Amino acid sequence: MTIISEGSTASPVTPQPVPPGRFGSYWAGVAAVVGMEMRQRMRSRGWYIMLAIWFVVIGLVTWLTWWSWSGQNSGFGRVSAQSGPGSLIFEIVMAFVLLFGLLVAPAFSANAVNGDRAAGTLAIMQVTLLRPGQILWGKFLASWIAGLAFLVVSTPFLLFGILQGGLGAGHILIALLMLAAELGVVCALGVGISALANRPLFSIVVTYLVVAALSVGTVIGFGLGAMVSHGTVMANQTFYKGTYSAIPPEYVGPGGQPEMPTPPPGITDQNLEYACYGPLTEYQTIRTDRVAWILAMNPFVVVADSIPYTPPTGRDYSPTGAFETISQGARIAQAGPAATYPCANGKVTPAYLSQKMPLWPLGMGLQLVLAGGVLALGWRALRTPAGKLPKGTRIA
Amino acid sequence: MESEIFNGLAAVGVSRSFGDVHAVISMDLQAPAGEVTALIGPNGAGKTTLLLMLASLLAPDAGSVSIMGIDPSKDPVAARAKIGWMPDTLGVWEALSAREILTFMGKFYQLPKATIPARVNELLALVNLSELADQKARVLSRGQQQRLSLARALIHDPRVLLLDEPASGLDPGSRVALRQILRGLAAQGKAVVVSSHVLAELDEIADRAVFVNAGRTVLAQTVEQAATQGRRYSVSAMDVHSLGDALTALGVPFSAGTGRRDSVSVEVAGEAQASALLRDLVGAGVAVSAFAPASGALEETYMSMDVEQR
Repeated sequence: MTIISEGSTASPVTPQPVPPGRFGSYWAGVAAVVGMEMRQRMRSRGWYIMLAIWFVVIGLVTWLTWWSWSGQNSGFGRVSAQSGPGSLIFEIVMAFVLLFGLLVAPAFSANAVNGDRAAGTLAIMQVTLLRPGQILWGKFLASWIAGLAFLVVSTPFLLFGILQGGLGAGHILIALLMLAAELGVVCALGVGISALANRPLFSIVVTYLVVAALSVGTVIGFGLGAMVSHGTVMANQTFYKGTYSAIPPEYVGPGGQPEMPTPPPGITDQNLEYACYGPLTEYQTIRTDRVAWILAMNPFVVVADSIPYTPPTGRDYSPTGAFETISQGARIAQAGPAATYPCANGKVTPAYLSQKMPLWPLGMGLQLVLAGGVLALGWRALRTPAGKLPKGTRIA
Repeated sequence: MESEIFNGLAAVGVSRSFGDVHAVISMDLQAPAGEVTALIGPNGAGKTTLLLMLASLLAPDAGSVSIMGIDPSKDPVAARAKIGWMPDTLGVWEALSAREILTFMGKFYQLPKATIPARVNELLALVNLSELADQKARVLSRGQQQRLSLARALIHDPRVLLLDEPASGLDPGSRVALRQILRGLAAQGKAVVVSSHVLAELDEIADRAVFVNAGRTVLAQTVEQAATQGRRYSVSAMDVHSLGDALTALGVPFSAGTGRRDSVSVEVAGEAQASALLRDLVGAGVAVSAFAPASGALEETYMSMDVEQR
């Protein structure tokens, strides 16, 4: 071992007071944390294996979807000339990417902080000039970047789906942006929870449960909530044109044969399909608008609702794609009986709810509030000198 | 430099409990700049908890800490710029190389970018890791990781150095080097606090020692004070019987030694009395072959304390 003469550590290097531009130096610290995290992630083999598996699985799903569609079309089955395979392939691939993203994001975010704590490296970072917020931001951004790598790998398949269906470039852009945002929400949740929980295993499980609550729990919560959200709506009678069913007795002709329906008196509003008439009465109904916000938090609803679709042109409107169906369903729930109950307030209701009042900003906003709240709690847990500590915590 | 305030590290009456466990109860510690202060105590005595509070990671329930006059709970950033902390857990980023770890540490301490590579090389040379600088930390041995940990604590040239068990896992050569590094740092005017179990080692390094037990400060003394206190000497001679006879004639009580060789153990009041006894024994014609303290000065104090392990 070399003997080092005294004074060899004397060096002009001393920590400089924070240079002008506090904001810049704050982000320089964040960037250093991101750099350290990314360098470690890039060196783990498991990461590349996961990316490869992801690529193969998404590729397989795309190919199977395309194959089954082309098989249907080459036979004598019903040819869906209107939509083509694009909408179908795009939607399936997109749903799959979202599902897989929700599944892998907790795995590389929910041990970011307590994994370091277990390895004894967190305290070493805390004792430097890094602020708790810089550590948290750095860990969050690094795990988000890792998540975006998965998105990049699935881009070719999303592109394929869009090209097959002749959808626009706007679709791919919005789809990627929304998927990236959803991954960011899950990563923020994971990093925040990992700062709060002691053990990596626990925080990963909790993050998975939160993801499950968002994707499945919101649907159940909406259903249960709707069951108890009774309410009333003022509506009058509905008269369907070209049907006999709703004809009051006074319109039945002398021979017992119904006449061709003549519109009843006192029509308040009508469209091509039906008319509203008569006095307003109170009807029992379910006020879905009160609980629609729960459904709005669902990542699938957020993504489906954000994808633009062409408004229908014909009079008979039925949603064509799965995403459109989800989006319309959620919007009907949000609009509530006042807008969707037949002849509510004596007005006809449109079958198609335009995208003027989209649901996804509400859902995304709620998700961001949730993720931000968890991150803020995590920030509190990272502050040093640490005051009260949860039981069993070891700082170093 | 700060002349009006205590120049160094001081903790006054700090306490900290975790739930029902009172890890540290009103401990005092003074580590003046330019000296090495040893923190000695059995496992579970509260050494690591005290060091965590000194390192600004843990807030004391009561009492105050001053790092060169700065209270870390009021101004942690200013305090941390002056603290170098080497934890007892190794805490190594396994996928990164020694050079990368030190470089990132330099960034975390906001060192000027241009100076970081030179500083990293300097520290790698100091802890003798230059040849392994680009190896992943995973492949380093425990002792090498320990040395990396020391380099990491020194990256920002701190004024106060807190080392938790720095010698554990080091080979004898590295221990000698560590001793020289620590003495060199103290000579530069840094306050160095070392917690260790290797007491014989501390005799050589430390200027003073603080003994803690069951969460309390038991004793604080300088090594000179420890050396002048009564301690046991081990004496061997070519003929053990004549040695026994001579000691009896001199009226010095003795007991059989604990070592492997035939030796006796005697209690002497201090170094002056020890040299007088040796002179008398030689004068009495005893062929003395070994005459040395049975244990280190600090170890003597440690063993005389009523040490209770938890």
